[in-house]
Amino acid sequence: MLQHFDPEKDYGTPAQVSENLVTLEIDGVSVTVPEGTSVLRAASEADINIPKLCASDNLEAFGSCRICAVEIEGRRGTPASCTTPAEAGMKVVTQNKRLGKLRRNIMELYISDHPLDCLTCPANGNCELQDVTGEVGLREVRYGFEGDNHLSAEKDHSNPYFSFDPSKCIVCSRCVRACGEVQGTFALTIDGRGFDSTVSPGQKQPFLDSECVSCGACVQACPTSTLMEKSVIDAGQPEHSVVTTCAYCGVGCQFKAEMKGSEVIRMVPYKDGQANHGHSCVKGRFAFGYATHDDRITKPMIRDSIDQPWQEVSWEEALSFASSKLKGIQEKYGRESIGGITSSRCTNEETYLVQKLIRAAFGNNNTDTCARVCHSPTGYGLKTTLGESAGTQTFDSVMYADAVMVIGANPTDAHPVFGSLLKKRLRQGAKLIVADPRRIDLVKSPHVETNHHLTLRPGSNVAFINAMAHVIITEGLEDTAFIAERCETEAYQAWRSFISEDRHSPENTASVTGIDATELRGAARIYANANNAAIYYGLGVTEHSQGSSMVMGIANLALATGNIGREGVGVNPLRGQNNVQGSCDMGSFPHELPGYQHVADDEVRARFEAVWGVSIDNEPGLRIPNMFDAALDGTYKGMYCQGEDIAQSDPNTNHVQAALRSLECLVVQDIFLNETAKFAHVFLPGASFLEKDGTFTNAERRINRVRKVMPPLAGMQDWEVTQALSNAMGYEMNYSHPSEIMDEIALLTPTFTGVNYDRLEEMGSIQWPCNNEAPDGTPTMHIDSFPIGKGHFAITEYVATEERSTRKYPLLLTTGRILSQYNVGAQTRRTENQAWHDEDVLELHPQDAEDRGLNDGDWVGIASRAGETVMRAKVSDRMQPGVVYTTFHHPGSGANVVTTDNSDWATNCPEYKVTAVQAVKVNEPSQWQQRYHEFNDKQLSFLKEGREKKAKARD
Amino acid sequence: MGNHQLASLIKMANQIAANNTHIGDDVAEAKMVADHLRKFWARSMKAQITEYLESDGSELSPIAKQAIVLL
Ligand code: SF4
Ligand code: SF4
Ligand code: SF4
Ligand code: FES
Repeated sequence: MLQHFDPEKDYGTPAQVSENLVTLEIDGVSVTVPEGTSVLRAASEADINIPKLCASDNLEAFGSCRICAVEIEGRRGTPASCTTPAEAGMKVVTQNKRLGKLRRNIMELYISDHPLDCLTCPANGNCELQDVTGEVGLREVRYGFEGDNHLSAEKDHSNPYFSFDPSKCIVCSRCVRACGEVQGTFALTIDGRGFDSTVSPGQKQPFLDSECVSCGACVQACPTSTLMEKSVIDAGQPEHSVVTTCAYCGVGCQFKAEMKGSEVIRMVPYKDGQANHGHSCVKGRFAFGYATHDDRITKPMIRDSIDQPWQEVSWEEALSFASSKLKGIQEKYGRESIGGITSSRCTNEETYLVQKLIRAAFGNNNTDTCARVCHSPTGYGLKTTLGESAGTQTFDSVMYADAVMVIGANPTDAHPVFGSLLKKRLRQGAKLIVADPRRIDLVKSPHVETNHHLTLRPGSNVAFINAMAHVIITEGLEDTAFIAERCETEAYQAWRSFISEDRHSPENTASVTGIDATELRGAARIYANANNAAIYYGLGVTEHSQGSSMVMGIANLALATGNIGREGVGVNPLRGQNNVQGSCDMGSFPHELPGYQHVADDEVRARFEAVWGVSIDNEPGLRIPNMFDAALDGTYKGMYCQGEDIAQSDPNTNHVQAALRSLECLVVQDIFLNETAKFAHVFLPGASFLEKDGTFTNAERRINRVRKVMPPLAGMQDWEVTQALSNAMGYEMNYSHPSEIMDEIALLTPTFTGVNYDRLEEMGSIQWPCNNEAPDGTPTMHIDSFPIGKGHFAITEYVATEERSTRKYPLLLTTGRILSQYNVGAQTRRTENQAWHDEDVLELHPQDAEDRGLNDGDWVGIASRAGETVMRAKVSDRMQPGVVYTTFHHPGSGANVVTTDNSDWATNCPEYKVTAVQAVKVNEPSQWQQRYHEFNDKQLSFLKEGREKKAKARD
Repeated sequence: MGNHQLASLIKMANQIAANNTHIGDDVAEAKMVADHLRKFWARSMKAQITEYLESDGSELSPIAKQAIVLL
């Protein structure tokens, strides 16, 4: 986006949007602003900078400090400019003797109760109190420290990332308002009155024990050093900064990495970040320490067998070892006996290169990505119904929604910055429907009313969505004009008669879904009757045996009610990892070249072949689960795996580990010796997001730049490693910068033709499709038509999963995520985020716990037909009886030992969300866990041995 | 050729068929299933399931069988 104003500057109060403009005079300068703009902001836009303390342009004006007082012709007194709206014809004076004196008096009072240790204060050089004191010219403080003051107030260091030093607090309430207005957690209040007022987390608790989620918005808002990052307290103020993109979730927040040399001191959410507008969560803002953790592996390593110690070698040696092994396997077992996995954590350019390596250098289409195990049904379902494998909106679009339905997603934990925006809209009065077996935080968040929480049974999604559509059609709530104009008639008629059948009614499906029919009818009416209704969904939709059907069912609902093609509506998949969208776009799937172009299409292949100079196989390759099966059958023998941890993240761990053990050559490229690397023969050290250039594409199809802020610890960025491996395999690549890779992507991908690094610099980010038809990108999709012409209603028959509760396994296990940890935890487990969640636990309903004699904290054994593991129990009334829940952030907890190899019918996305289990009280770890610990210890000793040997050789 | 892959392939083919049997016309249904297999299955997977149908096929559902014949 073009910057019409300096994004770094704090204009004091939020920008207003209004057709009506007003012109006023400030210090003799004529200024025109949208109606509703404060005098403070109007002045600031004209570079007339009125001192301010309690105002900040991400918060509503509060008017407590009075330092921004001005004189307005014809008005009495000195009104606060932050709370006074600009009016046409106003004449404002911002500086004169009277105002100067008033401001000095105010500052004198503040300073008389403020420690005068500026020279040694961590905020020194970056303190608004200091700045304003300087601006008003305070020269003397008449009141001493003899009277009552707060100088000895006790500090709170409980939060691992920031400290709270109340002696420096000026009670401006910025932190309190940031926590409420921006983050939506309302953890802070001003406790007491007058002189006694202090900032208090929760019920006067330490921060760590309060409901604070450590987003850091209050720290950023604080104008003094009261709330301060510990990293700044330790290292001092940063000296330069680089704008880059968070490498955790699919929200894609932009940050200013504030640096001292090549050390990151702090991450400050970038105000002009188009997905986050200056907000962030605990992961992106604080959990970056893993990048320089001691566990980082920075030397290439090889070994002949996984029962041998590692051997540190040069890059050349590692790459030639890998390439000769892989080529040897192909000679022996055939061209299709090797393949690779791209990563949703790596950049678009890196992902593109890995699939290119596989298709061009390996000569087959055995490429897949971890999106297989999360959002592949989104790709299939949305392409079938709407014609494009992507969400339809921007995040900001939610601010125009009147009703929001959240299905199988937990935005406040997994997509926190979007969660905050959503909560803001809900506080403004948008209606909320949550469909989730578990009571997620959103259901009970402060000042938010959930109109319907539909606690459906795991595995009954399609029956539920069909019942919603049944109500809409049979009660005549559909948008007939939209359907007639925008959708295929024949498919609609077929779907209409299917969905109208009585068997889909809420009453007739209640026994399957467990949802009260009246509730469901109420929810359907809210969704259908809202002017703008939007659906947001997550892995609770996709990770089922009918994941693809459910995605299509959601799209059907949006089509039937005309909720597509404008702001405030849409079908919005919330993507788990940072670059899930990008890794799918970049041709990671075995049947599609970049831009979702099928490999069987001769015209498409010809274009790629002309640029790549090789012929491309016209048959799809193996998907991840097929690779594992083929490995166990002995036909798949070698694999290149970049930045993924399939041994921990994929279901049915026993099966996956057996498959990995059977490989003759596994090449893993990662920053840590992850679970998969413990089965590897070649380890190529990767680079963290701080060490590379490239782009990530977030859940709104927004391509954001990732910029290198420090040199790669192992000497190479990941794309350089892939390129070197390709060259070693005999297929030449010679890019000198990721921008050249993006140019090639743009050349071959019709939805990317307008994307290049110069445009990204200029616009900040671009939402694809970006081409001749949409030169500035496409914030909202399907405005006038669909890429397939008309919207397609797909018939979605409910087919029950084979996984159902039985006498032996009477409970249904579903899995999910938690705010402080990320995916397999390889990054977040190596940060202070451990303070919030240092082990995975099994949540279960009090009744189920009582039946089994389980109390909070007891060891509980969880067994399914796939395997067995042990965790601690957490009794929780979030759960419904019969349903238990856990996370998979810690490898030793073995959540995926229990999940099965059931998968989505269309895409093989695993059914993580439904596993029939039994839970019993136990007093020792499972056999799997004992074996895991033995194996893990052995592999870590192999690592240590290799390192020591090399160190000795060097001596 | 081993059993892991074949067992998975049979399960997958039946599952695809089960999710496409709502049209009430088995020729059209078999065609949809066949299209799906053509579009998403690797060469080796298609070969293996065809071979299974020719040699045995007993565990395949009727629509899955009809679809595999079309490959
Ligand atoms: S860190 Fe975030 S959640 Fe915690 S008190 Fe500050 S603003 Fe509120
Ligand atoms: S902690 Fe900081 S932001 Fe909060 S009231 Fe005190 S000075 Fe203001
Ligand atoms: S993890 Fe997600 S929400 Fe949190 S800062 Fe990173 S991109 Fe933003
Ligand atoms: S900045 Fe206006 S009253 Fe504080």
